[in-house]
Amino acid sequence: MIDQVRTIVDSALQLRGRLGASDGATALLGAIPELDSMAVVSLITALEEHFGFTVADDEIEAATFATLGSLADFVQHKLDA
Amino acid sequence: MSGNGSRVPFDAFFLPAAGGERFCIFHPANGAPLGSVLYVHPFAEEMNKSRRMAALQARAFCRRGYNVLQIDLLGCGDSSGDFGDARWNAWNDDVALAADWLARHAEGPVHLWGLRLGALLALDHLRQAGRSFAGLLLWQPVISGAQFMTQFLRLRLGSEMLSGAAAGSGTEQLRAQLAAGRALEIAGYELTPQLASAIERLDLAALPPENVPSHWFEVNAEGKPSPGLRRAGQTWSSAGAEVELHAVRGEPFWSSVEPCECAELIGATCDTLSLAHA
Repeated sequence: MIDQVRTIVDSALQLRGRLGASDGATALLGAIPELDSMAVVSLITALEEHFGFTVADDEIEAATFATLGSLADFVQHKLDA
Repeated sequence: MSGNGSRVPFDAFFLPAAGGERFCIFHPANGAPLGSVLYVHPFAEEMNKSRRMAALQARAFCRRGYNVLQIDLLGCGDSSGDFGDARWNAWNDDVALAADWLARHAEGPVHLWGLRLGALLALDHLRQAGRSFAGLLLWQPVISGAQFMTQFLRLRLGSEMLSGAAAGSGTEQLRAQLAAGRALEIAGYELTPQLASAIERLDLAALPPENVPSHWFEVNAEGKPSPGLRRAGQTWSSAGAEVELHAVRGEPFWSSVEPCECAELIGATCDTLSLAHA
């Protein structure tokens, strides 16, 4: 799951592989300059389109985008729902 | 007006239409035409971002022996009207107008080529048109119109979404404003209740065409069809539609901040079209 989410983050933010072999602890929001508020919108869209789930307004919070791990947990939670 | 140099020549013109004119570009095939391709562009800013890829693909089709017609829909690009004048049915009429023009000016089978929301417009048109098409080439089709609208509405929320304030002022509230008959300004585009409600109702899985072979092309980092699109494809297959999924590696050129191209997509799309006539 981490690998899939890393690939989508890289593609949506056009990081061109900059995340490298990052793990779940890798910080996203606040650590990656490309991840501004509009990029968060693109990232949510990319996750929705890839996995085919829908994210509700009240599910979106900063903590979800804190690290690669927190984002992967969120995706897993959506897929299990 | 014609292009020149080493590029494929093209003709730009205005077609008279309801409420004014529609801007069109016709790219004639190199040599005797095998058929034609009608391009249906995507929504709002995605149309601008994908201009270059659409032009590159159009020229590639010409080199393979196909004419290409591009039309700017009502309220889009260089056509008449503002975005706020656009209506789904008017866009459907514009696709018909372009198809009529091709029928009068070009010989051979016509394929519809739609990108993102343009793919759903092409499919919706196919359901309503009395005309038959030889095939469908759908690039990164929007799967759910409702989800697509949510994504568009989020552009207006931006940072609000992360502040936790979105619960009271999020996409639901924007939808309530639309439901109350108020148009919204989003990322520089006027979204009317009429257009929004028409798009909300669209569902890729529910639009399988009858007797028209379809090819879906997806661009992503893995070069494999995503679970979301695979599911929609299975629904089509179960409904008896002839659909093939293709996935290539690349970046989302229709939405990316930095302009990008995807040569692999152009190659795969050309190969598919050539095979259809082999």
